[in-house]
Amino acid sequence: MKLYKKEGNVLHVLSFPNEAVEKGDYLLVEDPEAAKAIIAQVIDVQFAAVPGVFEELLRTLPDGDQPIQGDDIDPLEIAPHINYIQDASLLVCKIRATLQNELLSPSSSWLPSRSQSTIKKLSIPMLLNLAKVDGKLPIILGGTKDSSLLTIDASALDGRLNIITGKKECGKSHLSKLLMVSLVGYKATVVVFDLNGEYSSLGMSSDGKKNIYYDKIHVLTPSQNFKVSLDQLHLNVVMGILVHALHLPGTSAREFKRIWKQLKEKGSLTLSALGDAIRNLNCNQHVRDALTSRFNSFINCGFFTDSAAEGSLIDDCLLKAKDCGGALIINLRNTATIDRQIVVEYVLGKLVDSLQSWKLQAAFLFAEEAHLYLRETYWDDIVTRMRHFGIFTTFITNQPDTIKDGIYRQADNIFLFNFTNEHDLEVVSRAARVDAETVKSIARDLPPHHCLTLGRVVRDFPMVTRVRALDIKTMGETRLFFRDNS
Amino acid sequence: MVIEQYTVTTQKYNFPQPTIDTALPQRFLEQSLSSLKRVSPASFQLNQQNAQHFNNIDSAFSLSLKPEPILLIPRSQETLIAAVDTSTIKIGETSKGVVVAVRGATVWKQHRHYRYTRLGPFIFHVTEDNKKMVFNSLERSYFDTLYTSSQQFTPTLFQMPTRIASLLERWMQNAIAKTAENGLILLDGSLTSGTADAPVQRMKQILETARKRGNTVLAFSKATNLRFNGYLITDFLPEREPPYLLETTGLKPKPPAVLLGDIYVARFNRAKLAFRLDIDRGAVETDRIESVEKLIGNDVYKQSYPETLRLSHILCTFTANEVLAIQHFIMRKHGIHIINRPDMHRLLFGPFGKGEGYA
Repeated sequence: MKLYKKEGNVLHVLSFPNEAVEKGDYLLVEDPEAAKAIIAQVIDVQFAAVPGVFEELLRTLPDGDQPIQGDDIDPLEIAPHINYIQDASLLVCKIRATLQNELLSPSSSWLPSRSQSTIKKLSIPMLLNLAKVDGKLPIILGGTKDSSLLTIDASALDGRLNIITGKKECGKSHLSKLLMVSLVGYKATVVVFDLNGEYSSLGMSSDGKKNIYYDKIHVLTPSQNFKVSLDQLHLNVVMGILVHALHLPGTSAREFKRIWKQLKEKGSLTLSALGDAIRNLNCNQHVRDALTSRFNSFINCGFFTDSAAEGSLIDDCLLKAKDCGGALIINLRNTATIDRQIVVEYVLGKLVDSLQSWKLQAAFLFAEEAHLYLRETYWDDIVTRMRHFGIFTTFITNQPDTIKDGIYRQADNIFLFNFTNEHDLEVVSRAARVDAETVKSIARDLPPHHCLTLGRVVRDFPMVTRVRALDIKTMGETRLFFRDNS
Repeated sequence: MVIEQYTVTTQKYNFPQPTIDTALPQRFLEQSLSSLKRVSPASFQLNQQNAQHFNNIDSAFSLSLKPEPILLIPRSQETLIAAVDTSTIKIGETSKGVVVAVRGATVWKQHRHYRYTRLGPFIFHVTEDNKKMVFNSLERSYFDTLYTSSQQFTPTLFQMPTRIASLLERWMQNAIAKTAENGLILLDGSLTSGTADAPVQRMKQILETARKRGNTVLAFSKATNLRFNGYLITDFLPEREPPYLLETTGLKPKPPAVLLGDIYVARFNRAKLAFRLDIDRGAVETDRIESVEKLIGNDVYKQSYPETLRLSHILCTFTANEVLAIQHFIMRKHGIHIINRPDMHRLLFGPFGKGEGYA
């Protein structure tokens, strides 16, 4: 390999056919005179602009429907040399760091010698070692192309905002499960908004037996084993549900607040008492109607109960998770849209309450397709306010444009699977921790189950990994009509 | 090795296959390897302008042009068309001489399909010390008589690439003349002989061999200096519907040049392009026009130039990619260290220096 050009933080390296280099590989450009080296990542492989190639191709054009047949008598065997030159490639690389005295700095301000520099492939283990991507809480993400393991540190997810995105069926949920169970393994509290009910079997191995996570996975299905009694609810949580999920107008909200406080003072905060209070409320008819309709929604969703015993499960689960780690899987699979929003509002409110009162140290929140249940204002809340309470969110989506720009810009880690659509790549490339060219070039060619990891977990050295398999019962498979017939 | 490959190729395509004198390619290879061995210790200067040289023997003469064109009717009866061309390129300079590459291509059209055989590239390191030896050795393996070995024909160092290419071209033309039967043999250039690159006897021998096997030799010149009334003969095109030939008369070349063909101007289609066409003078007169009619009845002639000849030219031409590959070969196989000598024109005159090749 030969150094050809440097423009800004982009290096162009000439590579020959016997030097197998692919997108995503790292190169070490060492300048012995300067005693420094550049670490650059290949983001594109192009044909080198070898002069005369066009003429070479032109003269092999077909005679009718097939190339002109003939014999080349080449006694000096020049042809392999012609092919060698013709197949030379140009590696477009992004400079990731400068290595000097075994220390890495993000600088790309110096120019290595074109004639003296040596270029070689940098293996992932060596890079991980140089970048000090290690730690006391390892999570093995999977294997890299050179058969080494990519291990990240769980603490690099702590206090961070993460995004897992990619097109359908490329392994996003699988990775989020891997991260989730790994965090649980390190006694972390994890809350998952499980839209499709695919996390509910994480406590079972693929053969249907209980696995080591069995006791730590708590599946909460709203209206079934997950209910809330009104007296457990804080007024601000209820108001959140009414205003944001059920869109209760301001005047009606004030009336509701008054009723709630009265019932609370009397110690009779039950569904029936609340219903009676609304019915007997001496106020404008429109306000009463508004409150009645919201009350009916409360009743119909089946999520609220007057039984304190039924409503204590979430507290028990959080307590267990706090002590030994655990995951609360909020199964939203068969929940209607409005009910889903009610549940999410409640859970988030509950989490904030628990964190504020130090009942919980911190919680990792995994939110799949959050746009389907998360209200607008929560996006900013999650990346700003809730982070300070200790809610560290991982968004999982196959529609990257449903996540607001601000989230991408503040994301600390991005786990990017294959995208072919330009628009999707454009959205993801707005992330602050990576350059747009890398995202667009590498993500487009990622095979299924391969993930481009960006951000703090890999110390800003984007790495491609084949996500490792998990021995858990999969529930996220698409139900097919023709499966049994084929 | 070369002999076997060539024999196999021609048999495979059912090409007429008499005994061919194949000593020349073997000697080319030997001389090539031997000359390259000598270059090893020397440093190697990359050629800065890879000008290619093609054979073109022509001088400024005046002649007469018959005003009435000979109208041609394409004859589509199946006729073998074969064409030969060679190319040479200077790969670079050494402290003692030049490194040149030579390649030849034969293309033939039969049963509506083109086929080719490419010979080379052969690479030579030619120095003042070895130029005579290299050239004579190649010539000796071609014909018993050394037509050009006398002192007056000893090529200069910078004539050597063209001379070696000419030698290969004549050998390939001879091989085609010996193998083709009742076909048309297309040559690049003219049938003017008596020059160092086209000795009279050698050219006569090629034409005679071709004639004996029922072939007609047609030579197309891409450029000519022949003029009629001060105009280039190829610019003097009557307003008649092509295809046609214009016959010339009265050309008397200065000795030692000898014309072995009758000279025509050929215009095959409406494109305002015409070429000098030399037809073997030894061919029966009626056959000459018929052979051109067979050519336009069997071959494609966009821009009035036969496709077979165009392909042979294209196939033997060196591309920049190949020059790089040859330089790579020389470096790898012979360990020649490449240096880049500055272009003095550029160095002295800056943007006004247009390179070594310009005055």
